[in-house]
Amino acid sequence: MAEQGKGNGNGRGKGNGNGRGKGKGTKERGSWVENLAAEGGIAGAALDAEAERAAHPRGVPLKRPFNFGRWFRATGWRHIVGLVMVVFALFPIVFVISSSLNPNGTLTGSNALFSAIGFESYVRILTDPQVPYPQWFANTILVASVTAIGTVFLGALAAYSFSRMRFTGRRFGLISIVVVQMFPQMLAVVAIFLLMSSISDWFPAIGLNTHIGLIMVYLGGALGVNTFLMYGFFNTIPASIDEAAKIDGAGHARIFFTIILRLVAPILAVVALLSFIFSVNEFAVASVMLIDTEKQTLAVGLTKLVSNPRYADWSAFSAGAVMAALPVVVLFLWLQKYIVGGLTAGAVK
Amino acid sequence: MSTKIDDEVVPGRSDTSGTSATAPKPTKRQRQAAGIADAASGGIKVFLFKLVALGLVDAIALYALFILVTADQWLIAAVVAVVTIAVNWIYFSRRRLPAKYLTPGVIFLVLFQVFVLVYTGYIAFTNYGTGHNGSQQQAVSSLMASSLQRVEDSPTYPVTVVDQFGTLGLLVTDPDGDALIGTNESPLAEVDAEFDGGKAVAVDGWTTLSFADVIARTDEITELAVPFSDDPNDGAMRTPDGSNAYQYVSTLEYDEAAGTMTDLTTGAVYSDIGTGAFTSPDGEELLPGWQITVGFDNFVRAVTDPRLLQPLVYVTLWTFAFAFISVASTFFLGLFLAIVFNDMRMRGRKFYRVLMILPYAIPSFLSALIWAGMMNESFGFINQVIFGGASIPWLTDPWMAKFSVLLVNLWLGFPYMFLVCMGALQSIPDDIQEAAKVDGAKPWAIFRLIKLPLLLVTVAPLLIASFAFNFNNFNVIYMLTDGGPRDSNAPIPVGFTDLLITMVYKVAFTGQSRDYGLASAYSIIIFIIVAVISIIAFRRTKSLEELN
Amino acid sequence: MRVNKKSLLAIGAAAVVATLGLAGCSTGSGENDPAEAAGGTLTVWVDAERVDALQAAADAYSEEKGVEVELVGKDNADIKDDFIQQVPTGKGPDITMGAHDWLGELSTNGVVAPIELGDSAADYLPVAVDASTYEGTTYMLPYAVENIAVLRNADLVPEAATSFDDMIAKGQAAGLAHPFVVEQGAEGNPYHLYPFQTAFGAPVFGTNDEGYDPTDLQIGNAGGEEFATWLGAQGKNGTGNFNTDIDGDIAKQAFLDGTAAFWLTGPWNVGAAIDGGINVAIDTVPSPTADAAQPFAGVKGFFVSSESKNKVAANDFLVNYIGTEDVQMELFEAGNILPALSAAAEAASSDPIIEGFAAVGAEAVPMPAIPAMGSVWQYWGIAQAEIINGADPVATWQKLTADVSAAIG
Repeated sequence: MAEQGKGNGNGRGKGNGNGRGKGKGTKERGSWVENLAAEGGIAGAALDAEAERAAHPRGVPLKRPFNFGRWFRATGWRHIVGLVMVVFALFPIVFVISSSLNPNGTLTGSNALFSAIGFESYVRILTDPQVPYPQWFANTILVASVTAIGTVFLGALAAYSFSRMRFTGRRFGLISIVVVQMFPQMLAVVAIFLLMSSISDWFPAIGLNTHIGLIMVYLGGALGVNTFLMYGFFNTIPASIDEAAKIDGAGHARIFFTIILRLVAPILAVVALLSFIFSVNEFAVASVMLIDTEKQTLAVGLTKLVSNPRYADWSAFSAGAVMAALPVVVLFLWLQKYIVGGLTAGAVK
Repeated sequence: MSTKIDDEVVPGRSDTSGTSATAPKPTKRQRQAAGIADAASGGIKVFLFKLVALGLVDAIALYALFILVTADQWLIAAVVAVVTIAVNWIYFSRRRLPAKYLTPGVIFLVLFQVFVLVYTGYIAFTNYGTGHNGSQQQAVSSLMASSLQRVEDSPTYPVTVVDQFGTLGLLVTDPDGDALIGTNESPLAEVDAEFDGGKAVAVDGWTTLSFADVIARTDEITELAVPFSDDPNDGAMRTPDGSNAYQYVSTLEYDEAAGTMTDLTTGAVYSDIGTGAFTSPDGEELLPGWQITVGFDNFVRAVTDPRLLQPLVYVTLWTFAFAFISVASTFFLGLFLAIVFNDMRMRGRKFYRVLMILPYAIPSFLSALIWAGMMNESFGFINQVIFGGASIPWLTDPWMAKFSVLLVNLWLGFPYMFLVCMGALQSIPDDIQEAAKVDGAKPWAIFRLIKLPLLLVTVAPLLIASFAFNFNNFNVIYMLTDGGPRDSNAPIPVGFTDLLITMVYKVAFTGQSRDYGLASAYSIIIFIIVAVISIIAFRRTKSLEELN
Repeated sequence: MRVNKKSLLAIGAAAVVATLGLAGCSTGSGENDPAEAAGGTLTVWVDAERVDALQAAADAYSEEKGVEVELVGKDNADIKDDFIQQVPTGKGPDITMGAHDWLGELSTNGVVAPIELGDSAADYLPVAVDASTYEGTTYMLPYAVENIAVLRNADLVPEAATSFDDMIAKGQAAGLAHPFVVEQGAEGNPYHLYPFQTAFGAPVFGTNDEGYDPTDLQIGNAGGEEFATWLGAQGKNGTGNFNTDIDGDIAKQAFLDGTAAFWLTGPWNVGAAIDGGINVAIDTVPSPTADAAQPFAGVKGFFVSSESKNKVAANDFLVNYIGTEDVQMELFEAGNILPALSAAAEAASSDPIIEGFAAVGAEAVPMPAIPAMGSVWQYWGIAQAEIINGADPVATWQKLTADVSAAIG
């Protein structure tokens, strides 16, 4: 479950990235939106509860005197759940942080956490000429971002056609994109190495040891279980929106790029994030494809630090892993507003 | 864009039957109107964009064709041409609307996923594995190279590689300081040569190769074997590094026409009897052999292996239990958290949410190692610090180990479900809940009767996929327990947390021998089981229908 | 078969090309440098932690011979499997670093080419040359020999122990409850227990003139059962000197914290112990019997790929360059393990730590490289772990022997 097979991902950033480009229809959009608002459209319902409440910030509790029982029933218990889960979620991660701060320590040999505090490991990993950490970091961001954008884009295209169109082989297609990815990946690395090495023979620019090649392999998983996630979400966008737009004279591409994508922004953000995390952590394919040290991603580069248990530098590895988690955290912080009720509300206003 | 929308159906709001006919089709007039309107609003630009994009595709395809044709790769070139034409047709056609949306993703899918599938399927019908790793030609050259035996007590001969009209020769200095020259055809013969420091370095009529020349002609030099004398039993001179030569005799002789290998010391003849290795009449094989196709052999071996019988039942039960409990636990925890942190009134929910996905952002083999360390019976953090010195056998008792694996898998997997549910929850109309609340429904009832069914429509396919993924979750078992604690009664090294997939790999990869053919056959059998379960499950969900 | 694979590739390549146009516009920039040069480049796979040590030698070789040497730091865990998988495709490296116990597997798969050490064979430690040879052919250029020994905290116990019991007694006299640690784990760790097993006269295989004889399984002899009984007595229900909960990390921490005075481990951990401020002395493995406790010797080296297109340069680089004292010393300094070249080994032995390991290494036996050894590893550790945890020693040992013989077939 940690890495949902190879299939995790899809993504085109948020809804208004590169794909839109063509229609300049801000004006028209207004009219469709009015239409559907007038219809009492369910799109209004897609509006997140939070967004609605955001309109009256803390309006309700302010008027009443503080009542612990009521506070607890409303949100207090949520904090208790939150704290319990934080302990559960972070408990092993504390070991990673402790290990990263103890330059000579072992990973799990001692239960005396934080017995030494020092940043030598961070300095070591950032400055060691054999460990081009900043380069790995940049490679990872590049590969993961492009993969996430590409995955969301390809996946959303497919989800749209599955959701809005009827054609022969639709049900078969829907099932097969998921079932294909259930196939055991035991020989995947061997097969992909063979494939990419023969591509290298003729087109070295997209073969082994290139980021484009790796991204292409990752995009092979663009249609997959997350397409289904998007498909399910697309289905909840009422068809009346498409109809209204169509009556206003919009073509299918315009409807897709300028209306639908905005309405499904939460799921695009989720899929982008899943895809991003997947490519940041992906090791098996990246390790056979990226040969030069300067081309490698963090997962490949860092693993080399500990691959030989006898010489494993767990402290530097932990420091690297802590820093590698930062882009994921930053991306999540940024995408959160799209996931929980930002854009859907905006589209209807 | 003026594409007709015949093959597009607007899902009716009440239509859950899955057939597409209930929504009234737009009349011809409406379609015309839509087409005109569409063309009026930026159709030209869209068309130009399409033209440029396809032009780029075609330009790249032409370039690829050019390269492939120069490389004489006609078959691949033909496929490239067909795919390019198909793409052009799809995007210039006024119909084929679904294809326009599906083609890009499908190309990647076919290339990288289906290829892997086909390749694995193909391997299942071969003997690929230890000892059958490459082609017959590679096996022959490897056998021949290994069969070279340096003549005992023979000296090292300093050597210079020389060339005469494209024929390579070895200029050898023998221990007495005499110079000898020979080629593949002519045995060593004495010659007058120029010496430098006791080593013959040049001879009239021959060009001395520099080290760079030697490197450039590696292939020829590897083949260069100068007969030591007229007697073939004396063997030949070869130079592995271009500066020293040694006298070798070969213990094997390859007869290409007959396809046999003869051991010159014992006289035994090894022939290719269709098993992918040279085999002597008494069944002894010369390894390395090579890859051949073996039909259904691997599948027959896979289902008839008697060693699997005893552990098969409990491993299968545990595999189903593991996959089911993992999906259920991660989903409900993830869903619960998504709902809990979805309340606007809660302060700090952003903070909680970020912390919830951290387990997903740390490399999983690192977290698995840490969990294993924490669960160590005598020294681990959990027993020593949390339980004050208790000795709970987290990973060493058969039942506890199962529990621990599930716990760790929950930890690894709930952030995924949390994210997915967070996204999927946004699709549930709020007004339905509000209406239910007004009607006096309890929150639990709202959740169970309204939210959960709606949510399941979106996430049910993910749950099925997640089940399939966990069914084959090799990594978590491998990293945490490697199947242990070991079942010491079983004839194969199987343990109490082994899943089907880890168990069959233990059968296919025993010790140093890796039988990829057998492993692929097992993979395919397990895949078929999982796929059938999944397809049945899919049909029971409503996710293939449309729902509004 | 060939045709099949080709056409698969063909379809794949075709789709890639077509796709490039569709998605290529949105994908990011990529570098455009075909790394594969036409010839004259040696690709060498190296353990990630040894890249530094070899870089200077590689650069010097390029300078001198005009052959570029590209070092690729590889993940230690994948290097062998990747090599076996990639060599037949023709895309593998020219040379890889590895260990002698891979030999059987590499040679059975036909992925290694013989190496001719020539006269220089005499310059290496005999154990290194023996270990590099498989079925009479030399395949590996050795660069280091490693074996385990006992690290002693000389501040806690100033004198070396004379026997296993003496070691425990000395440690307990110093006030330590469990003075001796050795890395185990739920699946045991037979490599680290082997010295004790040999002390009871139970090697894994007997030997013939070609080396270890897979048909002569010695593990189950009377000595083996004695060893099993002894191991059981030192386990959970006995003295507790062996504990399967002690893994590498815990053993290390115990030694660094001074709660254990003796640590049976390899040279790779000496650095950490010295950095931790321990006054380290190296002792031979204290034997539980009157016979010597012989650990396994592991020999590290380089292999040439059988599909290398640069065999001449590869052989030249290995035999005439890596085989020199300077390069062997550089590798030694990076890994702190005894060089395989005698002259370098002697120079390195001026360091008392290395000298200590070398003294133990003199008693060491090469780890068997024959494929049958794989079947032994599979059952060996788990049986030992069960014995340590209180299973009936003799019965468990007999089952081990039966399982191994069945697996070897």
